[in-house]
Amino acid sequence: MKMSKIIYKLILILLLIFVSAESFAGVNELSDYYKTVRCLVCEGQSIQESDTEFAINLKEQIQKKYSSGMSIEEINQELIKIYGEEISFNPPKNHILLWGTPLIVLIIIFIFIRNKIRFFRKL
Amino acid sequence: MKKHLLLPLVGFVVLVFSVLFYFSQSTTKNNSKDEVSSLIFETPDFYNNKLINENTMGDFYIINFFASWCKPCLAEHPLLMEMKKKDIKIIGINFRDDEENFKEWINEHGNPFEYILRDDGTIAYEMGLIGVPETFFIFNKIIQKKIQGPLFYEDVENYL
Repeated sequence: MKMSKIIYKLILILLLIFVSAESFAGVNELSDYYKTVRCLVCEGQSIQESDTEFAINLKEQIQKKYSSGMSIEEINQELIKIYGEEISFNPPKNHILLWGTPLIVLIIIFIFIRNKIRFFRKL
Repeated sequence: MKKHLLLPLVGFVVLVFSVLFYFSQSTTKNNSKDEVSSLIFETPDFYNNKLINENTMGDFYIINFFASWCKPCLAEHPLLMEMKKKDIKIIGINFRDDEENFKEWINEHGNPFEYILRDDGTIAYEMGLIGVPETFFIFNKIIQKKIQGPLFYEDVENYL
């Protein structure tokens, strides 16, 4: 009888730890996400750092959506759909050409200069 | 073609394509913002508790976000009153405001709105609001124009 009580209490404590850790992780995940959302009315600040009405409202709306079971990724997609890509500090990685162009141009310039040097050496 | 011209040419073509690709991406991002949030037609009017029927709003109407704590809202208020006199239908959305302050504000400055909805920020979020005041011009159920900040006479003179 005594043993079962101890086991019961142990399970209860473990459950409590698990639940609080879960909710703490949720809070952490949200505040980490807030840091990636740009406050559109304040220069260079995220909504995590800002106390403007815009930032406060956005945090509340994101919190509501998160509590209703939406994932951070889904919320982020919805936010970009509403406010455009400028709302996010993390630009999407799908602009392969945009990200790759500077590299391609650099390589082309490098090859061009090398060929030029060879051309003048032959003279 | 001379060999030494080929590489810069290729580079130029790649650059042009990249720029075109970038602009084609950025112009398609906000399509969902063209439509009015359905929440506006699901939220009852503050005074008579009736829902707004979009079909009775006509081809052209205005949605104006305001708050009693917002000073620029007061600056554009006489213009909204003027628009009401010209039979322009305006849906007023009271954004994150204290109810008593809001009622007092309307009593003091007049009510230019056909309908007034009180919003805790949800409608504002769905409409992509940046701040108050903000005004949306709706033609044939589509958002044609959006003005962030107070309205000026020049913004609405064509409709008066």
